[in-house]
Amino acid sequence: MSDHKERLEESLSALMDGEATEMETHRLLKALAGNSQLRDRWKRYHMASAAIKGEPATTSVDYSTAISAAIDQEPAHRKSVLTMFAGSAGRFAIAASVAMVAVLGVQQLNSPAGTSLIENGREVSEFAGVESSVENTGPAIQFPSGFQPIINARTVSAGGNNKNSLRTTPELEFQQQAQQQFKQKYSETELRAYLNSIMSKHSSHAALNSNQGMLPFARLSEVGNQSADEAVSEKE
Amino acid sequence: MLVSPFEKGLKVIKLAALVAAVLLHGPLFAEQMESAHDLMARMAKATRELNYSGVFTYEHRGNLTSAKLIHEVRDGKTYERLLHMDGVQRDVINRSDNLDCVRTGDMLLRGHAYKINNQNYSRLQDFYEFHIKGDGRIADRQVSMVHVLPRDKYRYGYVVAIDKESGLLLQSVLMSHAGKPLERFQFVDISIGDGSTKIDSQLKDEEFDNVDQKDCVQLTRKIVSQPSMWQLNWLPPGFVLASHQSPGASGQESMMFTDGMAVFSIFIDSVQGGALPQVDAKLGATVAVLNNVDINGQQYAICVVGEIPRGTASQVASAIGIAP
Repeated sequence: MSDHKERLEESLSALMDGEATEMETHRLLKALAGNSQLRDRWKRYHMASAAIKGEPATTSVDYSTAISAAIDQEPAHRKSVLTMFAGSAGRFAIAASVAMVAVLGVQQLNSPAGTSLIENGREVSEFAGVESSVENTGPAIQFPSGFQPIINARTVSAGGNNKNSLRTTPELEFQQQAQQQFKQKYSETELRAYLNSIMSKHSSHAALNSNQGMLPFARLSEVGNQSADEAVSEKE
Repeated sequence: MLVSPFEKGLKVIKLAALVAAVLLHGPLFAEQMESAHDLMARMAKATRELNYSGVFTYEHRGNLTSAKLIHEVRDGKTYERLLHMDGVQRDVINRSDNLDCVRTGDMLLRGHAYKINNQNYSRLQDFYEFHIKGDGRIADRQVSMVHVLPRDKYRYGYVVAIDKESGLLLQSVLMSHAGKPLERFQFVDISIGDGSTKIDSQLKDEEFDNVDQKDCVQLTRKIVSQPSMWQLNWLPPGFVLASHQSPGASGQESMMFTDGMAVFSIFIDSVQGGALPQVDAKLGATVAVLNNVDINGQQYAICVVGEIPRGTASQVASAIGIAP
């Protein structure tokens, strides 16, 4: 039970950072409804985040109770069976749309890409993430850090030191399965070296042709860090 | 229905107020827009032409690295040095012999239209909105904050801070469409002009990486691209070719595109043996989309990499084909 609680709290902080997976978000929304402790924690996180950002600390106002009270007090205009049904449906619709906003908001944070743009078999299905991944033929590689593979444009679980990827088991299975398939063809080290070299070249391109002067070269230090243990020689 | 003279008068006054508001506000607005563009143009120039040295940080997803930068113009040549302050020791030393070499990105940033073909021009303001968002202080200097908003989903936005005195870029934050920062460059300390650190003049010529001069452009002229077996059936609007590298001994062909703010590169390698796995990778705000194609039994790996939304990168990757 405490393990469950811990996980919820972790998910909550992931959601704060806009890094919660879809599943986590669903779980959280469900849990938040009946868990005032968790709601308080959410408020505290926001206050802390506001404090860190130097925003004026607003003593957080909880609208949720006021809103549900107001909805409850709303006089029913006509009491036919139909309107009663419609009334409760309407109430549900409000709750659902709030939930949708929350889910959509989080997903937008999770996917900076205009996912609708993706074509050619790299279809992104946010809601059917796990199912669609099974159909994918593109193998996945477990990157130790830094370069984060996003298997065929899936947006779930990014982050080099990501704890999420360990939790969503279907994904993990998929990754292993794909990895076996892929090992026969190409080694992970080679792929990483390839991506790193491409990244270096791109950065020098960018340095010459963007408004940022030499700044894009700074991105390379990450690449350098990772390739150090791989003895990938890189001179840029 | 009769309209009383009073009401009529009120209407006239309302209309006059509206007209006055439009007349007064219009030019003000235009001025503000213009000065944002001027700022960007000044920045493009200052970044290249001034002497400066400083330390800046690069941050993404909670990772922070720092680097020391020296930029020096001496005898019409540009010397640049970038030393990573943490992690693996990396030192980039560049020299470019021609200060007047203006590249495509620079040109777009300076507000020039770039001729794509006889009908079409690419202009920065067609793809981004620029708003001056007040003043700030960065690296102990007064800056103007500029928000650069993309007009479509194919590119990201930026929040940049430009030094009021010199026009140098002191902060650049790449923003996702949801308004979340993806990466941030920011100077913590900078000296500009005479007080700036100079590059050791004892350094020998061969210690510098010479910057390729072939991609210099003249105003409104596009770069000459060598014939290639590849062709792009789609480009995100506003992006133009800024550099093209034919497959040399390495067998790697590369193309670089920019819209003046964002940059992405395409690398095409002929692959021996097994194909590279089809994979999307991400490093900070940089995405890499790796695709395989098989042409007459020869495997090619196509990699699109850049600070662009993943959707854009995927779409570019799938739009690469063989020229007829």
